[in-house]
Amino acid sequence: MPHITYVEADGQATTIDLPEGWTLVQGALANNITGILAECGGSCTCVTCHCYVDEARLAELPPPAENEAAMLDFVAAERRPNSRLACQIRATAALDGLRVELPAHQE
Amino acid sequence: MFRFDPYSPAIDADPFPYYRVLREQQPCFWSPEAQMWVLSRYADIVTALNDWQTYSSASGNLMTELPGRAGATLGSSDPPRHDRLRALIQHAFMKRNLLALEEPIRAIARDVFGQLRGVETFDFKDVSSQFTVKVLMAALGLPMGDESLASEQEVRDNAVMMVQSDARTRAKGPEHIAAYQWMQDYASRVIALRRAEPRNDLISHFAQAEIDGDRLDEREVLLTTTTLIMAGVESLGGFMMMFAYNLATYGESQAAVVANPALLTDSVEESLRFNTSAQRFRRRLMKDVTLHGQTMREGDFVCLAYGSGNRDDRQFPNPDVYDIHRKPRGHLGFGGGVHACLGTAIARLAIRIAFEEFHQVVPKYRRVADQLAWMPSSTFRSPLVLDLTTAA
Repeated sequence: MPHITYVEADGQATTIDLPEGWTLVQGALANNITGILAECGGSCTCVTCHCYVDEARLAELPPPAENEAAMLDFVAAERRPNSRLACQIRATAALDGLRVELPAHQE
Repeated sequence: MFRFDPYSPAIDADPFPYYRVLREQQPCFWSPEAQMWVLSRYADIVTALNDWQTYSSASGNLMTELPGRAGATLGSSDPPRHDRLRALIQHAFMKRNLLALEEPIRAIARDVFGQLRGVETFDFKDVSSQFTVKVLMAALGLPMGDESLASEQEVRDNAVMMVQSDARTRAKGPEHIAAYQWMQDYASRVIALRRAEPRNDLISHFAQAEIDGDRLDEREVLLTTTTLIMAGVESLGGFMMMFAYNLATYGESQAAVVANPALLTDSVEESLRFNTSAQRFRRRLMKDVTLHGQTMREGDFVCLAYGSGNRDDRQFPNPDVYDIHRKPRGHLGFGGGVHACLGTAIARLAIRIAFEEFHQVVPKYRRVADQLAWMPSSTFRSPLVLDLTTAA
């Protein structure tokens, strides 16, 4: 299983084994990572799973689909070039070691 | 031999002991009665919800599907069509766009629950169903007052009937099909009214929407509207019954949320986990899948038992305890993945307001009966009647 590291706004880092195919939201919810709210349950409708993807690896991810790109306009914290919605990032073996940082607030 | 028959009254009444056997002994179980596989562990359900390419909704998502519905609604279609359909509707259900509904919902709640002032014993369903239909009508922009096309009671009764199934025939009975047809007819009259004179409401927008330059086909407009009404009335109403049932059953939790209404938010989440009304949905396999030593074949139907995943101790410690302080993140009470419930924000808002106002009028209550009559449904679970009393 790929290792994924979530870094909360206070600097606390948590590394989990995420089953392939699961999204970064499911990994966060199942492992009590509090910087992700995912109020809508991971269906790209609430923008409370905003994360900043390690810039060095951003290009390895499939780019945001139209739906996600439109929703990113509504994130609560600062939107940056590496902003993504964690519900739209799916674990693959190639993403092993990915780090994502979480904003201080999601709503 | 162990059986799991989602049509049996025993499962309607209490599926949880059966779920435990499924999770512990047969996590990938073929039910001959349901003619489908049953997945019951949290991780297996989440995996299926994430993999819509394998676990397709396009052949229907209700355990017992309604005729002609599959493929034409949000819940019964797959991406990319699903995503485009959802994009047309979802902005209306986003939290920030619901703020304008807060005051109207509170006014409805005060009005409906105000009827209980001075009443000692009542069926909670009488008030929860009135509240639900009025909130849904306000949220979707269904015609009310002078332009009303049907009584609230009719909308409610048909929505509740169409989700049920017949325990004997393991199918929809004539009364369930008739209710479904009534709802389609009602939806079609609402759509015609809003097309003739569009307003700034969800159904007006949806009825005129296009996807990639193509207008939605009539079947999609009609069946999606029908489903929004059904899901709104039945799911919100059913969940309110379960939440009231839990608070009436667990007196300490009730006293805590009445004393401190800020606890309602977490209590709702725990109820969504503990025993929400949306117990089971289904998918259909697009390829063979081997799980726990069983091979499920392409074309087979698979039940995702959300209610069981929510009691899986691999995910939730002491799962059979109703603990309003638990904060059960990742629960399956709204499903998950691309088909996670569209109405999460309005449901949370409406229920919080409803119980704030209900508790203002009825600060202490308990169940009258130990044994309850449960709705016959392979998909949903809630009591048909919930008599409550304020008597000590």
